[in-house]
Amino acid sequence: MQLKTISPRYLILCGLALASPHGAQAAPPPGQLLASQCAQCHGTNGNGPGFDEVAGKSASELLKDLLEMKRRPVEGIMDRQARGYTDAQIKLIADYLAAHSGVAAATTDH
Amino acid sequence: MMHTFSRRRFLQLAGAASAVVVLPQTAAAAASTAARVVVVGGGFGGATVAKYLSIWGGGQVAVTLVDPNPSHIACILSNLVVTGALSMDRITLGYSALKGKPGVTVKQGLVTAIDYMRGAVSLGDGTTLPYDHLVLSPGIDFIPAPDGAWDPNLTPHAWQAGAQTLLLKQQLASMRDGDTFVMTVPKSPYRCPPGPYERACMVADYLKRKRLVFAKVVVLDANPGIQAEPLAFGEAFNFIYKGMIEYVPNATVLAVNSKSRSIDTTAGDWSGVRVLNYIPNQRAAAMGPADSPNRGWPVLNAQGFVPVDPLTYGISGYPNVHVIGDACAVPASEGKAVPKSGHMANAEAKVCADAILRTLNNQPLDQNITTNSACFSPITATTASWLSANFNYGDIYDGAGKVKGKGMHRVDLGEAPKTNGDNYRDMFTWAQGLFADSFV
Repeated sequence: MQLKTISPRYLILCGLALASPHGAQAAPPPGQLLASQCAQCHGTNGNGPGFDEVAGKSASELLKDLLEMKRRPVEGIMDRQARGYTDAQIKLIADYLAAHSGVAAATTDH
Repeated sequence: MMHTFSRRRFLQLAGAASAVVVLPQTAAAAASTAARVVVVGGGFGGATVAKYLSIWGGGQVAVTLVDPNPSHIACILSNLVVTGALSMDRITLGYSALKGKPGVTVKQGLVTAIDYMRGAVSLGDGTTLPYDHLVLSPGIDFIPAPDGAWDPNLTPHAWQAGAQTLLLKQQLASMRDGDTFVMTVPKSPYRCPPGPYERACMVADYLKRKRLVFAKVVVLDANPGIQAEPLAFGEAFNFIYKGMIEYVPNATVLAVNSKSRSIDTTAGDWSGVRVLNYIPNQRAAAMGPADSPNRGWPVLNAQGFVPVDPLTYGISGYPNVHVIGDACAVPASEGKAVPKSGHMANAEAKVCADAILRTLNNQPLDQNITTNSACFSPITATTASWLSANFNYGDIYDGAGKVKGKGMHRVDLGEAPKTNGDNYRDMFTWAQGLFADSFV
């Protein structure tokens, strides 16, 4: 949440969540669903097994790598895959994976 | 090796001790509030949805995965089992890791009935599993040829891996020089678009390596052309296996006789061939007895698959019943269908799991969805190609380019510019990743 003040809308959402018969849970972090589609080849949350280039990289490194793949001539499969995402989606994916793979995984991975 | 009481070990013990104290309370709370999700089918779709409901749900959901088999045998890489390059254990995926996930139960059993109105699944052992959400991921059934006498125990399709894979392996091994291997490519849509062409290549490569230079592979394609990786397979059929593979498009199967190993098609008849690898046309696996309306499904499209909502994989009129994987029909742009594959089933499972959890928590659905398909196909015993496709949630288009609704629009498609040894090695890394992300 990037909210500086707590908006009435947010409070309504909280209320709804609490009213749920199955108990409340915080909204998933942005980029979670998009980034989960990397896991087929890079492992759950980018932590392998599979192609292990994700874990341990910062968000800015991942962003730079993915945008480079998207714009260079196609050679490997990632050059193709990167073309399937908007730059904004790539940013969300990079931020999520940087926060959930590698060292960060020790506290957030289940 | 450490003689001192390590911090790591202390944390493990502390964790275990607190778990003992806390568990009864948590379990009691979970029992009264946990939403119940029943998952039918433990292939790539079913396993992935169970796993991600556990991870993302934080134990909030009680998931019961039901499958008739003690483990799943993947079709992925199974053409390499047919040629003997890999053993069955490389494609046999157990459920032990899933069983260890918080909230997940794996039950071996056969579904005998689904009460969509009351929300309960009945199993062959008399158990009834009530659900808040139901995820159906049963895979495919075959539509037999209109005439003849088809018996897959005599002429294997090997399009569901396991005993069928081993039967085809045996039959291939029995081929002598001058023999013919006849196979079919089902009418699209079918499971794994590149799969049949990959199989033709693997069989031809096997025959070449055994120096059966006069043996032939006939590929009878019900479609007008190669359905995936036309560059790689076109090159394989026209150059690498020139004279060995005969590719016949527009071959609609009319009759199959498994005893005489004969097949009649609109593009010619073949009889008394050494191996007949008839892969029939496909539809969603039945959810009820063959004579029940819609074969047990609330709704089916004209091709026999289940239309779903691309945001939730829910069925129209039954928003808490979800269908993922090969059985579902995802709305897509004309000529740009979402492929049926293990990789895509995994992708759809995550969208479905996320939608179920958001629904349970009264949160708005995530509409920023991209699913992808990425796979590697062996072309020879040392080289492979790859296929990549991405689908984005949004407007989808008809054949004339007009918006026809919302769905998964294919935004990118491509294949490897070159088939090579690096791709062949990458194929195993890819499979290892996909197997683990789905089952471990």
